[in-house]
Amino acid sequence: MPDIAKLKSTLNEMCNRQYTTDEFQDLLTLPWTMERGRYYVVQNALYTRNRRDCWGYVQAAAPLDVKALVWQHESDELINDPRAGMDHYSLTVKQGEVIGLEREDFEKAELPPMAQAAFLAWHHIAVKGPWLASFTSSQMLERRNNPDIVKDGGMSYRIGKKFENELGISLKRMISLNVHSTADTEHSDMMDGVYDKHVRTQEDYDTVLRAAKQCMAIDRAYRGGLAYVMQRIEG
Amino acid sequence: MEAHAAKRNGVESVWQELVELVNAQFETPPFQRLLGLRFSQARAQALSIQMKHYVANRRDCWAFVAGAAPLSVKRLIWEHEGEELMGDKAAGKVDHITLAVQEGRIFGLSPEDYERVRPLDAAVACFYAWIHLAKDRPWREAVAASAVLEMRNSDDLVRGGSLSYRVGKNLERDLGIPLKRQINNAEHVTADVEHGQLLLEVAREHCHTEEEQQALLRGARESLVIDRAYREQLANMMKALD
Repeated sequence: MPDIAKLKSTLNEMCNRQYTTDEFQDLLTLPWTMERGRYYVVQNALYTRNRRDCWGYVQAAAPLDVKALVWQHESDELINDPRAGMDHYSLTVKQGEVIGLEREDFEKAELPPMAQAAFLAWHHIAVKGPWLASFTSSQMLERRNNPDIVKDGGMSYRIGKKFENELGISLKRMISLNVHSTADTEHSDMMDGVYDKHVRTQEDYDTVLRAAKQCMAIDRAYRGGLAYVMQRIEG
Repeated sequence: MEAHAAKRNGVESVWQELVELVNAQFETPPFQRLLGLRFSQARAQALSIQMKHYVANRRDCWAFVAGAAPLSVKRLIWEHEGEELMGDKAAGKVDHITLAVQEGRIFGLSPEDYERVRPLDAAVACFYAWIHLAKDRPWREAVAASAVLEMRNSDDLVRGGSLSYRVGKNLERDLGIPLKRQINNAEHVTADVEHGQLLLEVAREHCHTEEEQQALLRGARESLVIDRAYREQLANMMKALD
Protein backbone atom coordinates (compact mmCIF):
# COMPACT_ATOMS: atom_id res chain seq x y z
CA MET A 1 0.00 0.00 0.00
CA PRO A 2 1.47 3.40 -0.91
CA ASP A 3 2.25 5.89 1.87
CA ILE A 4 -0.53 8.46 1.47
CA ALA A 5 0.71 10.71 4.26
CA LYS A 6 4.01 10.96 2.44
CA LEU A 7 2.21 11.66 -0.83
CA LYS A 8 0.23 14.52 0.71
CA SER A 9 3.31 15.96 2.34
CA THR A 10 5.14 15.88 -1.01
CA LEU A 11 2.20 17.67 -2.66
CA ASN A 12 2.27 20.28 0.12
CA GLU A 13 6.00 20.85 -0.36
CA MET A 14 5.42 21.34 -4.09
CA CYS A 15 2.75 23.94 -3.34
CA ASN A 16 5.04 25.86 -0.99
CA ARG A 17 8.00 25.67 -3.37
CA GLN A 18 5.84 27.20 -6.10
CA TYR A 19 6.01 30.58 -4.37
CA THR A 20 9.80 30.62 -4.39
CA THR A 21 10.10 30.08 -8.15
CA ASP A 22 11.19 32.88 -10.50
CA GLU A 23 7.81 32.96 -12.22
CA PHE A 24 5.82 33.40 -9.00
CA GLN A 25 8.36 35.87 -7.65
CA ASP A 26 8.19 37.89 -10.88
CA LEU A 27 4.44 38.25 -10.43
CA LEU A 28 4.37 38.74 -6.68
CA THR A 29 7.18 41.33 -6.58
CA LEU A 30 5.84 43.32 -9.53
CA PRO A 31 4.89 46.84 -8.40
CA TRP A 32 1.09 46.98 -8.41
CA THR A 33 -0.53 49.90 -10.25
CA MET A 34 -4.26 50.33 -10.74
CA GLU A 35 -3.99 49.35 -14.41
CA ARG A 36 -2.01 46.24 -13.57
CA GLY A 37 -4.47 45.39 -10.81
CA ARG A 38 -7.38 45.71 -13.22
CA TYR A 39 -5.65 43.53 -15.76
CA TYR A 40 -4.99 40.85 -13.15
CA VAL A 41 -8.60 40.82 -11.94
CA VAL A 42 -9.96 40.43 -15.47
CA GLN A 43 -7.50 37.66 -16.27
CA ASN A 44 -8.37 35.95 -13.03
CA ALA A 45 -12.03 35.78 -14.13
CA LEU A 46 -10.92 33.96 -17.28
CA TYR A 47 -8.79 31.64 -15.15
CA THR A 48 -11.89 30.90 -13.05
CA ARG A 49 -13.80 29.97 -16.22
CA ASN A 50 -11.05 27.59 -17.26
CA ARG A 51 -11.29 25.96 -13.82
CA ARG A 52 -15.01 25.34 -14.39
CA ASP A 53 -14.28 23.59 -17.71
CA CYS A 54 -11.57 21.45 -16.14
CA TRP A 55 -13.56 20.46 -13.05
CA GLY A 56 -16.41 19.46 -15.38
CA TYR A 57 -14.08 17.05 -17.16
CA VAL A 58 -12.72 15.77 -13.86
CA GLN A 59 -16.28 15.02 -12.76
CA ALA A 60 -16.97 13.20 -16.01
CA ALA A 61 -14.13 10.73 -15.74
CA ALA A 62 -14.12 10.17 -11.98
CA PRO A 63 -15.87 7.41 -10.01
CA LEU A 64 -19.31 8.20 -8.59
CA ASP A 65 -18.20 9.17 -5.08
CA VAL A 66 -15.70 11.68 -6.52
CA LYS A 67 -18.32 12.96 -8.99
CA ALA A 68 -20.54 13.79 -6.01
CA LEU A 69 -17.67 15.64 -4.29
CA VAL A 70 -16.89 17.67 -7.40
CA TRP A 71 -20.56 18.51 -7.80
CA GLN A 72 -20.62 19.86 -4.22
CA HIS A 73 -17.45 21.82 -4.88
CA GLU A 74 -18.93 23.36 -8.00
CA SER A 75 -21.93 24.60 -6.05
CA ASP A 76 -19.91 27.50 -4.58
CA GLU A 77 -18.32 28.20 -7.91
CA LEU A 78 -21.29 28.01 -10.27
CA ILE A 79 -24.42 28.59 -8.21
CA ASN A 80 -23.96 30.31 -4.86
CA ASP A 81 -21.21 30.55 -2.27
CA PRO A 82 -22.93 31.27 1.05
CA ARG A 83 -19.80 33.18 2.13
CA ALA A 84 -20.44 35.68 -0.65
CA GLY A 85 -24.13 35.33 -1.52
CA MET A 86 -23.33 34.73 -5.19
CA ASP A 87 -21.42 32.44 -7.54
CA HIS A 88 -17.70 32.97 -7.98
CA TYR A 89 -17.80 34.41 -11.49
CA SER A 90 -20.37 37.03 -10.43
CA LEU A 91 -18.19 37.66 -7.39
CA THR A 92 -15.19 38.43 -9.57
CA VAL A 93 -17.23 40.78 -11.74
CA LYS A 94 -18.63 42.49 -8.62
CA GLN A 95 -15.13 42.85 -7.20
CA GLY A 96 -14.12 44.57 -10.42
CA GLU A 97 -16.47 47.46 -9.63
CA VAL A 98 -14.21 48.45 -6.72
CA ILE A 99 -11.37 49.15 -9.14
CA GLY A 100 -13.47 50.70 -11.89
CA LEU A 101 -14.16 47.66 -14.06
CA GLU A 102 -17.47 46.98 -15.77
CA ARG A 103 -19.04 43.68 -16.85
CA GLU A 104 -18.14 44.53 -20.43
CA ASP A 105 -14.43 44.60 -19.52
CA PHE A 106 -14.71 40.95 -18.53
CA GLU A 107 -16.75 39.97 -21.55
CA LYS A 108 -14.43 41.49 -24.14
CA ALA A 109 -11.20 40.40 -22.41
CA GLU A 110 -8.65 38.42 -24.38
CA LEU A 111 -6.13 35.93 -23.15
CA PRO A 112 -2.44 36.68 -23.61
CA PRO A 113 -0.58 33.93 -25.52
CA MET A 114 0.94 32.22 -22.49
CA ALA A 115 -2.43 32.11 -20.74
CA GLN A 116 -4.01 30.55 -23.83
CA ALA A 117 -1.32 27.90 -23.91
CA ALA A 118 -1.62 27.21 -20.18
CA PHE A 119 -5.41 26.91 -20.33
CA LEU A 120 -5.19 24.47 -23.23
CA ALA A 121 -2.57 22.48 -21.34
CA TRP A 122 -4.76 22.20 -18.21
CA HIS A 123 -7.69 21.37 -20.44
CA HIS A 124 -5.64 18.62 -22.10
CA ILE A 125 -4.76 16.97 -18.78
CA ALA A 126 -8.37 17.23 -17.61
CA VAL A 127 -9.75 15.59 -20.75
CA LYS A 128 -7.07 13.10 -21.66
CA GLY A 129 -5.46 12.11 -18.38
CA PRO A 130 -6.38 9.08 -16.31
CA TRP A 131 -9.00 10.39 -13.89
CA LEU A 132 -6.57 10.57 -10.95
CA ALA A 133 -4.28 12.78 -13.04
CA SER A 134 -7.17 15.04 -14.10
CA PHE A 135 -8.30 15.29 -10.52
CA THR A 136 -4.83 16.03 -9.14
CA SER A 137 -4.15 18.68 -11.76
CA SER A 138 -7.26 20.62 -10.72
CA GLN A 139 -6.92 19.92 -7.01
CA MET A 140 -3.31 21.15 -6.86
CA LEU A 141 -4.36 24.67 -7.85
CA GLU A 142 -6.68 24.85 -4.85
CA ARG A 143 -4.12 23.19 -2.64
CA ARG A 144 -1.56 25.84 -3.47
CA ASN A 145 -4.19 28.47 -2.61
CA ASN A 146 -4.86 26.92 0.81
CA PRO A 147 -3.42 29.06 3.62
CA ASP A 148 -3.41 26.05 5.93
CA ILE A 149 -0.90 24.43 3.58
CA VAL A 150 1.04 27.36 2.14
CA LYS A 151 3.12 29.27 4.65
CA ASP A 152 2.48 33.04 4.42
CA GLY A 153 -0.80 32.55 2.55
CA GLY A 154 -2.04 31.35 -0.82
CA MET A 155 -2.07 33.25 -4.09
CA SER A 156 -5.45 34.95 -3.50
CA TYR A 157 -4.28 36.22 -0.11
CA ARG A 158 -0.96 37.48 -1.44
CA ILE A 159 -2.51 39.28 -4.39
CA GLY A 160 -5.16 40.69 -2.07
CA LYS A 161 -2.43 42.05 0.17
CA LYS A 162 -0.78 43.72 -2.83
CA PHE A 163 -4.03 45.59 -3.51
CA GLU A 164 -4.11 46.57 0.16
CA ASN A 165 -0.46 47.53 0.65
CA GLU A 166 0.29 49.09 -2.72
CA LEU A 167 -3.06 50.55 -3.78
CA GLY A 168 -4.71 51.11 -0.42
CA ILE A 169 -7.73 48.90 -1.20
CA SER A 170 -8.43 46.68 1.79
CA LEU A 171 -8.58 42.93 1.26
CA LYS A 172 -12.12 42.97 2.64
CA ARG A 173 -13.22 45.12 -0.33
CA MET A 174 -11.57 42.77 -2.83
CA ILE A 175 -14.41 40.34 -2.20
CA SER A 176 -13.38 37.59 -4.59
CA LEU A 177 -9.77 37.46 -3.45
CA ASN A 178 -10.96 37.62 0.14
CA VAL A 179 -13.42 34.74 -0.28
CA HIS A 180 -10.81 32.66 -2.09
CA SER A 181 -8.25 33.22 0.63
CA THR A 182 -10.47 31.02 2.80
CA ALA A 183 -12.74 29.11 0.36
CA ASP A 184 -9.87 27.12 -1.05
CA THR A 185 -9.03 25.81 2.41
CA GLU A 186 -12.41 24.12 2.44
CA HIS A 187 -12.23 23.13 -1.23
CA SER A 188 -8.77 21.69 -0.86
CA ASP A 189 -9.64 19.84 2.37
CA MET A 190 -12.87 18.33 1.02
CA MET A 191 -10.94 16.71 -1.81
CA ASP A 192 -8.04 15.38 0.28
CA GLY A 193 -9.85 12.17 1.20
CA VAL A 194 -9.87 11.16 -2.46
CA TYR A 195 -6.20 10.24 -2.19
CA ASP A 196 -6.86 8.14 0.94
CA LYS A 197 -9.60 6.20 -0.79
CA HIS A 198 -8.41 5.91 -4.37
CA VAL A 199 -4.60 5.79 -4.38
CA ARG A 200 -4.18 2.03 -4.01
CA THR A 201 -1.10 1.12 -6.02
CA GLN A 202 2.34 2.49 -6.76
CA GLU A 203 1.06 3.30 -10.25
CA ASP A 204 -1.72 5.45 -8.76
CA TYR A 205 0.85 7.14 -6.53
CA ASP A 206 3.11 7.90 -9.48
CA THR A 207 0.15 9.14 -11.55
CA VAL A 208 -0.73 11.67 -8.84
CA LEU A 209 2.85 12.90 -8.49
CA ARG A 210 3.34 13.18 -12.24
CA ALA A 211 0.12 15.15 -12.69
CA ALA A 212 0.97 17.41 -9.76
CA LYS A 213 4.37 18.21 -11.29
CA GLN A 214 2.82 18.89 -14.70
CA CYS A 215 0.15 21.11 -13.17
CA MET A 216 2.68 23.11 -11.18
CA ALA A 217 4.81 23.59 -14.31
CA ILE A 218 1.80 24.92 -16.24
CA ASP A 219 0.91 27.12 -13.26
CA ARG A 220 4.42 28.60 -13.25
CA ALA A 221 4.27 29.20 -16.99
CA TYR A 222 0.90 30.92 -16.56
CA ARG A 223 1.98 33.15 -13.66
CA GLY A 224 5.26 33.98 -15.40
CA GLY A 225 3.32 34.82 -18.55
CA LEU A 226 1.03 37.17 -16.63
CA ALA A 227 4.02 38.89 -15.01
CA TYR A 228 5.62 39.33 -18.46
CA VAL A 229 2.52 41.03 -19.88
CA MET A 230 1.81 43.06 -16.74
CA GLN A 231 5.35 44.46 -16.60
CA ARG A 232 4.59 46.12 -19.92
CA ILE A 233 1.43 47.84 -18.67
CA GLU A 234 2.16 51.50 -18.01
CA GLY A 235 0.33 53.61 -15.48
CA MET B 1 -38.48 43.00 -34.10
CA GLU B 2 -38.80 40.77 -37.17
CA ALA B 3 -35.36 39.30 -36.55
CA HIS B 4 -36.35 38.52 -32.96
CA ALA B 5 -39.54 36.80 -34.09
CA ALA B 6 -37.64 34.79 -36.68
CA LYS B 7 -35.16 33.63 -34.04
CA ARG B 8 -38.00 32.63 -31.75
CA ASN B 9 -39.80 30.80 -34.54
CA GLY B 10 -36.58 29.03 -35.48
CA VAL B 11 -36.10 27.79 -31.93
CA GLU B 12 -39.73 26.73 -31.55
CA SER B 13 -39.64 24.90 -34.86
CA VAL B 14 -36.46 23.00 -33.92
CA TRP B 15 -38.02 22.16 -30.58
CA GLN B 16 -41.08 20.73 -32.32
CA GLU B 17 -38.82 18.68 -34.56
CA LEU B 18 -37.00 17.33 -31.51
CA VAL B 19 -40.30 16.45 -29.85
CA GLU B 20 -41.36 14.56 -32.98
CA LEU B 21 -38.04 12.72 -33.03
CA VAL B 22 -38.49 11.43 -29.50
CA ASN B 23 -42.07 10.39 -30.27
CA ALA B 24 -40.93 8.58 -33.40
CA GLN B 25 -38.39 6.67 -31.30
CA PHE B 26 -41.25 4.64 -29.80
CA GLU B 27 -42.42 3.57 -33.25
CA THR B 28 -39.06 2.04 -34.20
CA PRO B 29 -38.58 -1.77 -34.20
CA PRO B 30 -36.10 -1.81 -31.27
CA PHE B 31 -38.47 0.12 -29.01
CA GLN B 32 -41.49 -1.85 -30.20
CA ARG B 33 -39.63 -5.10 -29.54
CA LEU B 34 -38.44 -4.06 -26.08
CA LEU B 35 -41.82 -2.76 -25.04
CA GLY B 36 -43.65 -5.70 -26.62
CA LEU B 37 -41.88 -8.27 -24.46
CA ARG B 38 -43.55 -9.62 -21.36
CA PHE B 39 -41.66 -9.43 -18.09
CA SER B 40 -40.67 -12.44 -16.04
CA GLN B 41 -38.84 -11.91 -12.76
CA ALA B 42 -35.53 -12.85 -14.42
CA ARG B 43 -36.11 -10.31 -17.20
CA ALA B 44 -37.04 -7.60 -14.70
CA GLN B 45 -33.89 -8.33 -12.71
CA ALA B 46 -31.64 -8.23 -15.78
CA LEU B 47 -33.17 -4.99 -17.03
CA SER B 48 -32.97 -3.31 -13.63
CA ILE B 49 -29.25 -4.08 -13.32
CA GLN B 50 -28.53 -2.84 -16.84
CA MET B 51 -30.44 0.38 -16.09
CA LYS B 52 -28.13 1.08 -13.16
CA HIS B 53 -25.15 0.96 -15.55
CA TYR B 54 -27.03 3.19 -17.98
CA VAL B 55 -27.63 5.76 -15.25
CA ALA B 56 -23.92 5.73 -14.34
CA ASN B 57 -23.02 6.37 -17.99
CA ARG B 58 -25.42 9.35 -18.02
CA ARG B 59 -23.43 10.85 -15.14
CA ASP B 60 -20.19 10.55 -17.15
CA CYS B 61 -21.78 12.10 -20.22
CA TRP B 62 -23.50 15.02 -18.52
CA ALA B 63 -20.26 16.04 -16.82
CA PHE B 64 -18.38 15.95 -20.14
CA VAL B 65 -21.12 18.13 -21.61
CA ALA B 66 -20.75 20.55 -18.69
CA GLY B 67 -16.99 20.72 -19.24
CA ALA B 68 -17.33 22.22 -22.71
CA ALA B 69 -20.51 24.27 -22.29
CA PRO B 70 -20.81 28.01 -21.48
CA LEU B 71 -21.32 29.02 -17.85
CA SER B 72 -25.11 29.42 -18.04
CA VAL B 73 -25.44 25.89 -19.47
CA LYS B 74 -22.99 24.53 -16.87
CA ARG B 75 -25.36 25.92 -14.25
CA LEU B 76 -28.39 24.18 -15.78
CA ILE B 77 -26.48 20.91 -15.87
CA TRP B 78 -25.26 21.37 -12.30
CA GLU B 79 -28.87 21.69 -11.14
CA HIS B 80 -29.89 18.64 -13.16
CA GLU B 81 -27.04 16.58 -11.77
CA GLY B 82 -27.87 17.52 -8.18
CA GLU B 83 -30.88 15.24 -8.02
CA GLU B 84 -29.05 12.49 -9.87
CA LEU B 85 -25.85 12.50 -7.81
CA MET B 86 -27.01 13.75 -4.43
CA GLY B 87 -30.79 13.21 -4.28
CA ASP B 88 -32.86 15.71 -2.36
CA LYS B 89 -32.17 15.39 1.36
CA ALA B 90 -34.91 17.87 2.29
CA ALA B 91 -37.48 15.76 0.46
CA GLY B 92 -35.99 12.52 1.81
CA LYS B 93 -34.85 11.44 -1.66
CA VAL B 94 -31.66 9.48 -2.31
CA ASP B 95 -29.41 9.78 -5.38
CA HIS B 96 -30.58 7.96 -8.47
CA ILE B 97 -28.02 5.14 -8.44
CA THR B 98 -28.95 4.29 -4.85
CA LEU B 99 -32.60 4.56 -5.88
CA ALA B 100 -32.08 2.05 -8.71
CA VAL B 101 -30.42 -0.38 -6.30
CA GLN B 102 -33.17 0.11 -3.70
CA GLU B 103 -35.83 -0.56 -6.32
CA GLY B 104 -34.09 -3.87 -7.02
CA ARG B 105 -35.43 -5.33 -3.78
CA ILE B 106 -38.91 -5.68 -5.27
CA PHE B 107 -37.39 -7.79 -8.06
CA GLY B 108 -35.49 -9.97 -5.54
CA LEU B 109 -32.10 -8.32 -6.15
CA SER B 110 -29.45 -7.47 -3.57
CA PRO B 111 -27.03 -4.50 -3.79
CA GLU B 112 -24.24 -7.02 -4.50
CA ASP B 113 -26.07 -8.18 -7.64
CA TYR B 114 -25.69 -4.67 -9.05
CA GLU B 115 -21.95 -4.76 -8.40
CA ARG B 116 -21.46 -8.29 -9.66
CA VAL B 117 -23.26 -8.14 -13.00
CA ARG B 118 -21.39 -6.08 -15.56
CA PRO B 119 -22.95 -4.15 -18.45
CA LEU B 120 -23.67 -6.15 -21.62
CA ASP B 121 -20.85 -6.00 -24.17
CA ALA B 122 -23.14 -4.14 -26.52
CA ALA B 123 -24.01 -1.73 -23.74
CA VAL B 124 -20.34 -0.96 -23.20
CA ALA B 125 -20.05 -0.11 -26.89
CA CYS B 126 -23.13 2.14 -26.71
CA PHE B 127 -21.82 3.83 -23.55
CA TYR B 128 -18.53 4.67 -25.29
CA ALA B 129 -20.48 5.97 -28.28
CA TRP B 130 -22.46 8.30 -26.02
CA ILE B 131 -19.25 9.39 -24.27
CA HIS B 132 -17.80 10.20 -27.68
CA LEU B 133 -20.74 12.51 -28.46
CA ALA B 134 -20.49 14.14 -25.03
CA LYS B 135 -16.74 14.60 -25.03
CA ASP B 136 -15.67 15.18 -28.59
CA ARG B 137 -18.54 16.96 -30.35
CA PRO B 138 -19.13 20.73 -30.32
CA TRP B 139 -20.97 21.58 -27.12
CA ARG B 140 -24.41 22.17 -28.71
CA GLU B 141 -24.37 18.71 -30.28
CA ALA B 142 -23.11 17.25 -27.01
CA VAL B 143 -25.83 18.83 -24.90
CA ALA B 144 -28.52 17.75 -27.37
CA ALA B 145 -27.19 14.17 -27.38
CA SER B 146 -27.66 13.93 -23.62
CA ALA B 147 -30.77 16.07 -23.27
CA VAL B 148 -32.74 14.20 -25.94
CA LEU B 149 -32.64 11.09 -23.75
CA GLU B 150 -34.36 13.07 -21.00
CA MET B 151 -36.90 14.32 -23.55
CA ARG B 152 -37.59 10.75 -24.61
CA ASN B 153 -38.34 10.05 -20.96
CA SER B 154 -40.68 12.98 -20.42
CA ASP B 155 -44.39 12.24 -20.07
CA ASP B 156 -45.11 15.80 -21.13
CA LEU B 157 -43.44 15.33 -24.50
CA VAL B 158 -44.04 11.69 -25.42
CA ARG B 159 -47.57 10.82 -26.42
CA GLY B 160 -48.64 7.62 -24.67
CA GLY B 161 -46.02 8.00 -21.94
CA SER B 162 -42.28 8.03 -21.51
CA LEU B 163 -40.00 5.00 -21.56
CA SER B 164 -39.87 4.78 -17.75
CA TYR B 165 -43.67 4.99 -17.63
CA ARG B 166 -44.18 2.31 -20.27
CA VAL B 167 -41.66 -0.07 -18.72
CA GLY B 168 -43.24 0.60 -15.33
CA LYS B 169 -46.72 -0.19 -16.65
CA ASN B 170 -45.45 -3.41 -18.26
CA LEU B 171 -43.91 -4.46 -14.94
CA GLU B 172 -47.22 -3.68 -13.24
CA ARG B 173 -49.14 -5.73 -15.81
CA ASP B 174 -46.79 -8.73 -15.89
CA LEU B 175 -45.50 -8.96 -12.30
CA GLY B 176 -48.30 -7.21 -10.43
CA ILE B 177 -45.95 -4.58 -8.97
CA PRO B 178 -47.73 -1.21 -8.93
CA LEU B 179 -45.80 1.61 -10.60
CA LYS B 180 -45.69 3.60 -7.38
CA ARG B 181 -43.75 0.75 -5.70
CA GLN B 182 -41.20 0.89 -8.52
CA ILE B 183 -39.46 3.80 -6.83
CA ASN B 184 -36.87 4.37 -9.54
CA ASN B 185 -39.29 4.25 -12.48
CA ALA B 186 -41.84 6.35 -10.58
CA GLU B 187 -39.17 8.98 -9.76
CA HIS B 188 -38.06 9.22 -13.38
CA VAL B 189 -41.61 9.50 -14.64
CA THR B 190 -41.87 12.80 -12.73
CA ALA B 191 -38.24 14.02 -12.68
CA ASP B 192 -37.70 13.76 -16.42
CA VAL B 193 -40.69 15.99 -17.17
CA GLU B 194 -38.63 18.88 -15.77
CA HIS B 195 -35.33 17.58 -17.16
CA GLY B 196 -36.96 17.27 -20.58
CA GLN B 197 -37.21 21.05 -20.78
CA LEU B 198 -33.46 21.67 -20.37
CA LEU B 199 -32.74 21.63 -24.07
CA LEU B 200 -35.47 24.17 -24.78
CA GLU B 201 -33.83 26.58 -22.32
CA VAL B 202 -30.46 26.03 -23.98
CA ALA B 203 -31.96 26.55 -27.45
CA ARG B 204 -33.67 29.79 -26.45
CA GLU B 205 -30.50 31.25 -25.01
CA HIS B 206 -27.79 29.87 -27.28
CA CYS B 207 -29.17 28.61 -30.60
CA HIS B 208 -30.25 31.52 -32.75
CA THR B 209 -28.75 30.72 -36.12
CA GLU B 210 -29.71 27.96 -38.52
CA GLU B 211 -26.30 26.38 -37.99
CA GLU B 212 -26.66 26.36 -34.20
CA GLN B 213 -30.13 24.87 -34.44
CA GLN B 214 -28.96 22.19 -36.86
CA ALA B 215 -26.24 21.27 -34.35
CA LEU B 216 -28.97 20.43 -31.82
CA LEU B 217 -30.76 18.21 -34.31
CA ARG B 218 -27.54 16.49 -35.33
CA GLY B 219 -26.59 15.64 -31.74
CA ALA B 220 -30.11 14.49 -30.91
CA ARG B 221 -30.44 12.26 -33.99
CA GLU B 222 -27.11 10.53 -33.39
CA SER B 223 -27.90 9.92 -29.76
CA LEU B 224 -31.27 8.41 -30.68
CA VAL B 225 -29.51 6.03 -33.07
CA ILE B 226 -27.34 4.80 -30.19
CA ASP B 227 -30.43 4.64 -28.00
CA ARG B 228 -32.14 2.34 -30.53
CA ALA B 229 -29.06 0.13 -30.78
CA TYR B 230 -28.92 -0.07 -26.98
CA ARG B 231 -32.62 -0.88 -26.54
CA GLU B 232 -32.39 -3.56 -29.25
CA GLN B 233 -29.65 -5.28 -27.24
CA LEU B 234 -31.68 -5.04 -24.06
CA ALA B 235 -34.55 -6.69 -25.91
CA ASN B 236 -32.18 -9.45 -27.09
CA MET B 237 -30.96 -9.96 -23.53
CA MET B 238 -34.51 -10.23 -22.22
CA LYS B 239 -35.66 -12.51 -25.01
CA ALA B 240 -32.77 -14.87 -24.27
CA LEU B 241 -34.07 -15.22 -20.70
CA ASP B 242 -37.10 -17.28 -21.79
